[in-house]
Amino acid sequence: MKRIEVKLSLAVVAPLLDLIKATVDGLAGRLAAPQHLQDLDEELRAAWQGELLGGQNDDCRRFLALFDREFFASGTVGFDEANAEAVLRACAAIRLRLRERELANLPDEAIESGSVDSAQLSEAVAKAFLCYMFLATLQELIIEHLDSAILDGQ
Amino acid sequence: MTVAASRTEVAPAGRPETELALEGLWRVVVLNDPVNLMSYVVLVFRKIFGFDEPKARRHMLEVHEQGRSVVWTGVREKAEAYVFTLQQWQLTAILERDETH
Repeated sequence: MKRIEVKLSLAVVAPLLDLIKATVDGLAGRLAAPQHLQDLDEELRAAWQGELLGGQNDDCRRFLALFDREFFASGTVGFDEANAEAVLRACAAIRLRLRERELANLPDEAIESGSVDSAQLSEAVAKAFLCYMFLATLQELIIEHLDSAILDGQ
Repeated sequence: MTVAASRTEVAPAGRPETELALEGLWRVVVLNDPVNLMSYVVLVFRKIFGFDEPKARRHMLEVHEQGRSVVWTGVREKAEAYVFTLQQWQLTAILERDETH
């Protein structure tokens, strides 16, 4: 099984975890991405959303499990085909939620082009933006190194 | 609910023509969002639909530049499964009746 280990800066990442955890808590009862399910009857829609929510919660739980005792001892997190998909989806969910809430006032163009000047942001927004970029970096690392495992997996 | 839809081919082989005509065809449409990475969207399209890299990239760019891309057309049940799977991956996907048939 292919596995990558990523050494993170504890000084940078550890302070982000409280916001990440709070964002995950905020996702416990709601879906991160907008839904357009008006074509479905009520019963199916409820089952559909319930199943999506269960999957999203499971993805986020597996993502948070990366930041365990070993991470706080060594700064290292590991990705392999067993957790890569869940972590990718959890990062997407958390980024969507951050964009919707803490980063709502930033224009899309600035975020997409990376031209946000952190010095001009409040401390809370700057921290959310750092989280947003950190999660994107994790996604890029996983896609770069584990795409074959993800594509070959069931 | 059937939720897993991976690498299923487009043609609903073996379905009687009359049944397809009654159900009609449905489109799976992915809408643009300002959050998900381009590389992530390409990976998801490859994973779910079995697209090769250039095809997945074409659809991703269509979503990015035109706001939407029809990524699959076929019977409703399978289209629902694809929409569900795309939503599991946090993409904004909708089901749309194909009025051209």
